[in-house]
Amino acid sequence: MKWWQIRHRNADAERELQADLELEEEEQRETGLSQEEARHAARRAFGNTALIRDQIHEAWGWARFERLLQDLRYALRRLWRSPGFTLATVSILAIGIGATTAVFSLVNAVLLRPLPFPESAQLVWVTQQDHSLPGIAPESLSYPDYFDWRAQNHTLQGLAAYRDNSVTMEINGESQRLEIETVSANFFDVLGAVPMLGHDFRWEDEKPGRHMAMLSYSFWQSQFGSAKDIVGKSFRMNNHDYIVAGVMPNGFQFPFENPAPVLWTSLADDAEGKDAPTQQRGYDVLGVIGRLKANVTAMQARADLSVIAANLAHQYPDHNKQYTSALVEPQLAHMTGNTRPALRVLFAAVSLVLLLVCANVAGLLLARGSRRNTEFAVRAALGASRTAIVRQLLLESLLLSVCGGVAGITLAFGLIRALLNLLPLEIPRMQAASVDGGVLVFVLVISVVTGLLFGAFPALRSSRSAPARALGEGSRTVSSGKAQHRLHNGLVVAQTAICMVLLIGSGLLMRSFVRILTVDPGFDAKNVLTSRVGVSFDLLNHDQHYLFYQQLLTRISALPGVQLASAAWPLPMTGSSASVSFNIQGRPVSRGDEPSESLGVAMPGYFKTMGIPLIAGRTFGEEDGLHGPPTIIINQAFAKKYFPGENPLGQHIQVRMGDDVFEHPVREVVGVVGDIKRKALTADADPQYYLPYAQAVVTNPYLVVRTKADPAAIQPAIRSAVHALDPNVPVYQVATVEDYLSKSAAQPRFQAFLLTCFATIALVLAAVGLYGFLSYIVVQRTQEIGLRLALGAQRSTVLGMIVRRGLLLALAGAASGMVISVVLTKVISGLLFQVRPTDPLILVATAALLLIVSAAASSLPACRAAWLDPMKTLRDQ
Amino acid sequence: MPSMENRAQQRANLLQGTLDMLVLRTLLHGPAHGHQIGKHIQRTTNDFLQMQHGSLYPALHRLERRGWITSKWETAPDRNRQFKYYRLTNKGRKQLVVEESQWKQMAEAVARVMWPAAEET
Repeated sequence: MKWWQIRHRNADAERELQADLELEEEEQRETGLSQEEARHAARRAFGNTALIRDQIHEAWGWARFERLLQDLRYALRRLWRSPGFTLATVSILAIGIGATTAVFSLVNAVLLRPLPFPESAQLVWVTQQDHSLPGIAPESLSYPDYFDWRAQNHTLQGLAAYRDNSVTMEINGESQRLEIETVSANFFDVLGAVPMLGHDFRWEDEKPGRHMAMLSYSFWQSQFGSAKDIVGKSFRMNNHDYIVAGVMPNGFQFPFENPAPVLWTSLADDAEGKDAPTQQRGYDVLGVIGRLKANVTAMQARADLSVIAANLAHQYPDHNKQYTSALVEPQLAHMTGNTRPALRVLFAAVSLVLLLVCANVAGLLLARGSRRNTEFAVRAALGASRTAIVRQLLLESLLLSVCGGVAGITLAFGLIRALLNLLPLEIPRMQAASVDGGVLVFVLVISVVTGLLFGAFPALRSSRSAPARALGEGSRTVSSGKAQHRLHNGLVVAQTAICMVLLIGSGLLMRSFVRILTVDPGFDAKNVLTSRVGVSFDLLNHDQHYLFYQQLLTRISALPGVQLASAAWPLPMTGSSASVSFNIQGRPVSRGDEPSESLGVAMPGYFKTMGIPLIAGRTFGEEDGLHGPPTIIINQAFAKKYFPGENPLGQHIQVRMGDDVFEHPVREVVGVVGDIKRKALTADADPQYYLPYAQAVVTNPYLVVRTKADPAAIQPAIRSAVHALDPNVPVYQVATVEDYLSKSAAQPRFQAFLLTCFATIALVLAAVGLYGFLSYIVVQRTQEIGLRLALGAQRSTVLGMIVRRGLLLALAGAASGMVISVVLTKVISGLLFQVRPTDPLILVATAALLLIVSAAASSLPACRAAWLDPMKTLRDQ
Repeated sequence: MPSMENRAQQRANLLQGTLDMLVLRTLLHGPAHGHQIGKHIQRTTNDFLQMQHGSLYPALHRLERRGWITSKWETAPDRNRQFKYYRLTNKGRKQLVVEESQWKQMAEAVARVMWPAAEET
């Protein structure tokens, strides 16, 4: 029997009773009674029809359902009538559920969700260990090493290589620079990805002359109009014709970086020309991933590959001496490596906020429940059972939780969108984040259970006591008992403690961020514009290449608004770098033991343009040109490390790096320049040396232009200067040095920002919690306070009494928060720069902030108490 | 062996189920409407069980909900009016056996306490 048949059933029962009653009446009349008497007799024999009807109703089990509806209506009415409480509870729940879900979904997308490839647990990241460095020092592989590992291993189904690359392509009549990936033929196969159109790369595609390309779905859409017959067609890129092998399905991406590679080419490109990269064992540029054979562990693969590495180190000591073992990392964990601590802190913070929200809602419900003691007592006295009252309260809590949940889910969707816009793009895989169903359910359950638990507590307690007592003592003096007070006190202290922890955390991160901003990078970032130009190495030879840049710089220097112009590679904070080995004349070492340091190439005027100070000797000039004697400039850290107590000027260094003209010449040290922060503001300045670009034409350098005013304004002029020389050369990566600097501080800025958001939410919630508790106490003690005032107590005494209570609670919370944070901030220490987790300034400032806010939150209810009208409160009794 | 709770539960059901049992037994003769059932119980117990008819109806509906009896509106043969006739279902027949044996157990247990001498002889 279903509930929608209630009406039908009721009518049926009514008809039945009516029919049988009439029959009884007839029978009574047949015994000779008058009509009137018969009816009465029948009624008597039948009993109370209203009661019977009710009992039938009950028999069908409808009554319970109807009571629920009735309770629901009542609960809605109650909530509607206290909009302040309802709104506060719902929005607090929404914040808790929304923020927790959003952040956890992000963490899930980056850290927990398996890689989007079939049987991704078999995928491993493979590198060689550099034993010349302490600890775990993974190093990329060279092509010859990779080929040997691929051929000789016994533990892998496949070993694939990839390297970042960029190409020039004409799009809409303009040359553009595109990020692509050069990969081995089995790259897609190892990942378990299959092209949506066309076919996978084949082994012969690794041979020189095979220019094959696999398009990404988005590139296929945007550049080839989603043409289905694209496979086998050719297109022009880097002044070569490439044949489309296939198109990858939508959503496929590897490696996970931003911007995503638009296409993948086979490594045939690297197998061409004199000194092809595939022939150079010292050219360590490859990222390598493998797929384990069934029942093989990462450790077994590591042992297997290490044997090969050791053999190669023995066979080729010149290049491989320090690489005697392999590193095999399961699940490609490094893909998310350096963002893990940050996300962990974020997760901890958001869990604390969730706890705080629960405590807060609990406090609100407790206070509300206690205020309604009289109502419960009246209902109990009128015959309501204890379960009825508890059920009523549970229903109200459930309603609140559901409203909060719905609002929270909406908030979660919005927050994820906002966070994706705010977060640094460099976090891999994050863009794929969406609200996670499991998380949502988890958080909803937690908040609903909290609501139910604390919603029912006051009812359970009050229904245990005799209603007569509660009513008899006068409705306004019902106290809610010691146990509940203790619980409530505990909740307030817990909230303050959590808030304190979050405040300390955000304070530390902010201070750390400020420290980072005040770091001297070693160069002057203001008003410097940089960009790259894609000059083809196929079309211009060594000398032409250099001359192109020389002419370009002459033109740019002549532009109005330009102070200085030069070019160099790499630029600090751009993420590009190269480390090349060298030997110092007069200190013979075997080739495999040669030290290696970070290398740079620079055109004349670079150091002056970037504001890097010259310490000794001279900077590069026209004399370090194509035909000048080979020279080198080192930085202070280099001088300190390799020439301690000596004059570095005039020393001779042979760098293992050459171009077509200068092949590993011995170079004279002509200058020493200041150290710069190369990788990040938080990194230590490391040894570095510079070669004149004319004598090491190895890559397209960054243009570096110092302007008199806003550097962005000069951008079109530089573009036209380049195109005046050659219209086919693309200009790309246009940015100011300040952009790069701020990008390098993006992570700490974001961490500080986010934690501060959470701490602010926590502070507001804790203040609301304290305020709510004290207001509740004031309401409860209204008569007592009124009496005191009537008997001559000073208003200031009353004020002090309430504020003192609030401050005591806040102090207890702050103290326990500090103790907890001493333990918890260890988690954060990895994110801190030159700030100790127990920074006294932060601790004191945080405690002060918390106490000030607590005092403010306490003063409102305190004022209300102090300005009570004693006559009115006493009359009200 | 039924557990302690089971026995207690059984006893509680026994008292409450007495009326159910009587109704089911009455319907064993054939279909009847509420009034007939009430009259039959009253008559066969020589008016010893003089219940108010009304208390019968919640029991009838309870039995119908459990699927032991079914109901149908039919015209009475002696009167030109429709009444709600109840019929025993197969499930109801089985239940009657259960109730009967429970009642017997109860009656025997009571008898042993009340008339111990009778048992000795």
